[in-house]
Amino acid sequence: MGIVQRRDVFGPLILIFLVFFIVLPVATVFLWAFAEQWFYPSVLPTKWGFRFWAQLVSRPEVWQAFLMSIKLSLTVTALSALICLPAAYAFARMDFPGRSGFMMSFLMANAFPRFALIVSIAVLFLTLDLVGTFQGVVIIQFLNTLLLMIWLPTAAFRAIPRETEEAARDVGASPLQVFWHITLPQAFPTIAAALLMTFVWTFYETEGAWLVGAPRIRTMPLLMMSMINNQLVVQYGAVLSVMLWVPSLVAIVLARRVIGGDAFAKGLGG
Amino acid sequence: MDAGNNRTGRIDFLAYGFIAIPVMAIVVFLFYPAALAMFGTLFHKRPDGGLAFDASSYIFFFTDPYSLANLMRTLWTTFVALVLIVAVNLPIALYMRFTRGWLASLIQGLALFPMFVPGIIICYALIRYLGPNGWLQSLLNAVGFTHYASPITTPWGPVIGLIWDGMPMTLLILISGLGTISDASIEAARDVGAGRLRILRSIILPQITHSILIVSALNFLGFFGQVLMPFMLGPTNPEMMGPFMLRTFVSVRDPLQAATQATITFLICSLAGLAYVRSLANRKEER
Repeated sequence: MGIVQRRDVFGPLILIFLVFFIVLPVATVFLWAFAEQWFYPSVLPTKWGFRFWAQLVSRPEVWQAFLMSIKLSLTVTALSALICLPAAYAFARMDFPGRSGFMMSFLMANAFPRFALIVSIAVLFLTLDLVGTFQGVVIIQFLNTLLLMIWLPTAAFRAIPRETEEAARDVGASPLQVFWHITLPQAFPTIAAALLMTFVWTFYETEGAWLVGAPRIRTMPLLMMSMINNQLVVQYGAVLSVMLWVPSLVAIVLARRVIGGDAFAKGLGG
Repeated sequence: MDAGNNRTGRIDFLAYGFIAIPVMAIVVFLFYPAALAMFGTLFHKRPDGGLAFDASSYIFFFTDPYSLANLMRTLWTTFVALVLIVAVNLPIALYMRFTRGWLASLIQGLALFPMFVPGIIICYALIRYLGPNGWLQSLLNAVGFTHYASPITTPWGPVIGLIWDGMPMTLLILISGLGTISDASIEAARDVGAGRLRILRSIILPQITHSILIVSALNFLGFFGQVLMPFMLGPTNPEMMGPFMLRTFVSVRDPLQAATQATITFLICSLAGLAYVRSLANRKEER
């Protein structure tokens, strides 16, 4: 089917590279999470166990950071859905002058260096007294979700054949009924996936929360960062990673099944 | 949500209501603060209430050896990571485009996997894997290789982290670009006797220049302003612009200098931003 055929040495070479570059680093996290003792240069942990899991779960700051992150992510996702979904519907199904221009303005936000934008917002927030507040972090993280929450649902609404909606209209359904019974159910899987990804991405958003939230707002990634840097116990970072990341990994893999890689590339203009 | 099925060419004024808030959010919280920050670094309030032009924060930046070293380090890291990420991902994308079978699916799964790993966990993984006395060093030791030098806290640490992080997006865009090349055109070239390299140079590369441009522009923007990777994996002196801005704002508490650094970042990145937007616009026209 193309260029690479015959004796294929190319594939195994790529595979070896990916194992060393991607698989082994991730495996390291799991090994450390279940290691009670691991002295260099032993290839595997010298003593396995769950001791650090128990220790970590009993630390109050872990729970505070966890609740803060959940609260932030829920707020941001709900806000983002409320604001972005109607806009996505408008972009997909309504005719109005300037539609593609407005759509472009959302893509334009991609053309700025993200952190420099965050710094300039933070400077503005200083004068508004929003630095170090929950609301300030919500706004920063909400801005982060705009592109995803508009672009994916727009594609979902567009993918629904208009004929099904028109057929329902022809037999006398009201516009609201059409939306509720025909449009929404078909777009729902993609919208749910977008919501899920927004939630997970917000949960792990680090830089905005750090710059605008410090020192009062402490989220899970910020806690992980200080645990990694302070090197208190090497295992804490690993245990936190595995504990939080595996559930979100399952969620994101599910979401990606619905959305597909090509949609992502197209969304960025690829 | 009435006015749902509008195909008549009538203008849906309700649509403006639907898009008003997100558009306002972009204007109020992105474009306005960016403009304000740039303006605020050049014009300061005088005691009598008027505005005075004052570029002293820029003069400071461009005469301060530490600031300049940070800028240079950022440019170096960005370009090295950019060249490497394309060099690493182009062969993988080509392989995934032109090969079927279990090995190709496995490679695809592994190469896109970083997409599912949050930045902070990548940092932790790379520190424990590549760091001094890390797992890689143990493994190399076990096979008799004892000259391992860890890249963590050297300038190469952030480069490796950025490549890790940027790989899935780069691959997806490259593969999407390669998808537009028809198998027939390649078969035809092969029938007239073109070799692999010749096909790559004359048929494939010209058709994916758009994708390579998009990938380079997006990665440039992503790398230049990165905070987490350089902070966790890189050296502290000199540091990249991202951690530099963060420290200036949070620890040094100098918002004016932080805004100046942000403006300089905007200006340098605007080249990449412009390339990105122009290439998006060209793409729209082609469609």
